[in-house]
Amino acid sequence: MAVTSDVEVAPPLEHGGKGLKVGALGLLSALVIGVASVAPAYSLTASLGLVSSSVLAYAPAVMILAFIPMLFIAAAYYYMNRADPDCGTTFTWVTRAMGPKSGWIGGWAILVTDLVVMPSLAAIAGIYTFRLFGAYGLANSTFWTTFIGVIWIAVMTLVCYIGIELSARTQFFLLGAEIVILVTFAITALAQVYGGHVKHSVHLSANWLNPLKIVSGHGAPGWGALAAGMLTAVFIYWGWDTAVTVNEETKDVKRTPGKAALLSTLVLLGVYLIVSLAAQAYHGAGFLGNDTSGDVLGALSSDVFGSTWGKLLVIAVLTSAAASTQTTVLPAARSSLSMAVHKAFPKRFGDIHPRHLTPGFATLVFGAVSIVWYVLLTWLSPNAVLGNSISALGFGIAFYYGITGYACVFYYRKHIFKSFKNFVFVGLAPFLGALILTVMFWIAAFYYSNPANSFVTGQAWFKFIHFSFSIGGWDIYVRKGLGPPVVLGIGLILVGIPLMLIWRHGHRDFFVHKRQVAESLEATAPPLTPGVVPVTD
Amino acid sequence: MAGNVVLGYDGSEGAKEALRVAVGVAHAFGAPLSIVFGYEPSPVGGESSDHRNALHGFGERAVAEAVSLAAAQDASVEIEQLVVPIRPVDSLLQAAKERQALVIVVGASGERPLVGAILGAVPHKLLYLSEVPVLVVPTPET
Repeated sequence: MAVTSDVEVAPPLEHGGKGLKVGALGLLSALVIGVASVAPAYSLTASLGLVSSSVLAYAPAVMILAFIPMLFIAAAYYYMNRADPDCGTTFTWVTRAMGPKSGWIGGWAILVTDLVVMPSLAAIAGIYTFRLFGAYGLANSTFWTTFIGVIWIAVMTLVCYIGIELSARTQFFLLGAEIVILVTFAITALAQVYGGHVKHSVHLSANWLNPLKIVSGHGAPGWGALAAGMLTAVFIYWGWDTAVTVNEETKDVKRTPGKAALLSTLVLLGVYLIVSLAAQAYHGAGFLGNDTSGDVLGALSSDVFGSTWGKLLVIAVLTSAAASTQTTVLPAARSSLSMAVHKAFPKRFGDIHPRHLTPGFATLVFGAVSIVWYVLLTWLSPNAVLGNSISALGFGIAFYYGITGYACVFYYRKHIFKSFKNFVFVGLAPFLGALILTVMFWIAAFYYSNPANSFVTGQAWFKFIHFSFSIGGWDIYVRKGLGPPVVLGIGLILVGIPLMLIWRHGHRDFFVHKRQVAESLEATAPPLTPGVVPVTD
Repeated sequence: MAGNVVLGYDGSEGAKEALRVAVGVAHAFGAPLSIVFGYEPSPVGGESSDHRNALHGFGERAVAEAVSLAAAQDASVEIEQLVVPIRPVDSLLQAAKERQALVIVVGASGERPLVGAILGAVPHKLLYLSEVPVLVVPTPET
């Protein structure tokens, strides 16, 4: 027998006309993947009411404001992705730049953030499934929506386990439909408002877009509310970084991700702005703020479109939630696979299913834990699963995006002052983004730690915690317990610390990694764990 | 290199049966045998680099196993190993095109037809897309 060549890696396909790997479509698919990961219809449904309940009529302003830290952090994602290409993870990036303990906690934060979003996805899927079939009574029943929600998680986990993929074309169609339906909804709503047919409607006001009004003037919501609103609104851009880091299938790797990020920004900002303005004009901010069950768009859609055409919006929310569930389960499984490969997590999480070629064990475990978590949370706070989850989610996102921003500055620290461009993109932007997220994180922590600011007013956990204090004349009271978002959001991250120490006790391999510094802005870093050789294609 | 027998191999029982047939075909035609493992994690969801690396390692082990199985069966067949980071179907089509392949050999996916059609089984897609003959080897009853 003669073996002619060693294991060889062929270059990617260069289809002529029919394939998906042509430059122009590369931009389109990067754009589609980025926007689909954000899932605009689901994000709006889940968060619009919550943002309004924090900042009243200024939700549209907050929707835009929340994008600023995301934009800055995107620079960190872009440059860390250069060092550790092909959509690396916060886990490996932070381990490189700041050491294995920080890296482990970063990875853990991703996992718990993915876990925390699952109940809200499932709850919305439950409500909208009943809405689709006109079973409005069941849509209001916690038991039945939870029942459907559990089935939803199970089915979507199975989809990720088997590795069923929609074709690029189908995804493009679904996303296109989602955007068109949202925009049509907004325009129709505004036309009805200005046509004078709608009760309790309000005309648009430039004030809605003025963030200064949130913190100054009589009866303004204040800084705490602004931070809480922004922390919720950050969630609507969660996943947007995928547009920056998806670089497969793009011929022009240097320019396509940048363009995709820019275009997806315009699409997202445009859609969020017009829909939040229209929704607010239709029945006023009070209507939105009183609904924190996630049914805002559903309730408005039958008023705006009538019950038959309103189903279109319901379908858009459902497909959007499906995409979002997929872009939650996949990264969660891959992050735990990544941690297992680098010996930071039990080995089994690195198992590849021999037939489906997916991280099978990690996927199933994540699905199972999600279901347990969802049922547990529903039992603990039956009326506020969505509000508590989304607000808690903001803490997780702010934490791991923030730590990624700091990691970027730290990793490229030798190069920051070499040129103005470096200073802006690997120094200033990541640092400011991380700083904004950190400040938001802490202000919101104090805001939500007051049970009066919970979504079910006064709901408090751990009532034996009982203290009060003030800093610089600014009274910060934490009395009789903590609001659920704080417990969920920060508590779950903190749980990681003892877990890490336990893991470190018996498995020191991962924790011997030394911090690394970037050789240059362009260089690809050596593999984090020797023996885990990156695929070069 | 022209006129290779191109085999899609993933280490499954069906693939092993296809390997047995492919070695036989390659021997009969005096053709080299290209053993191909293609993989591509979904671009949706990001964070794929370690997943890719794990798949690459998995593919290398599977193909190495195939090489030793083939050698045990018939040492005269010349063998090429390919572990390719593109979707299985595309990896086979590309390998076949580049080598002006005689035939592509794959194991039947072992799914029932409807399930296979929904999940997009590789043999099913190959039948429509391949420009060279495709030989689908049934999985033996166990």
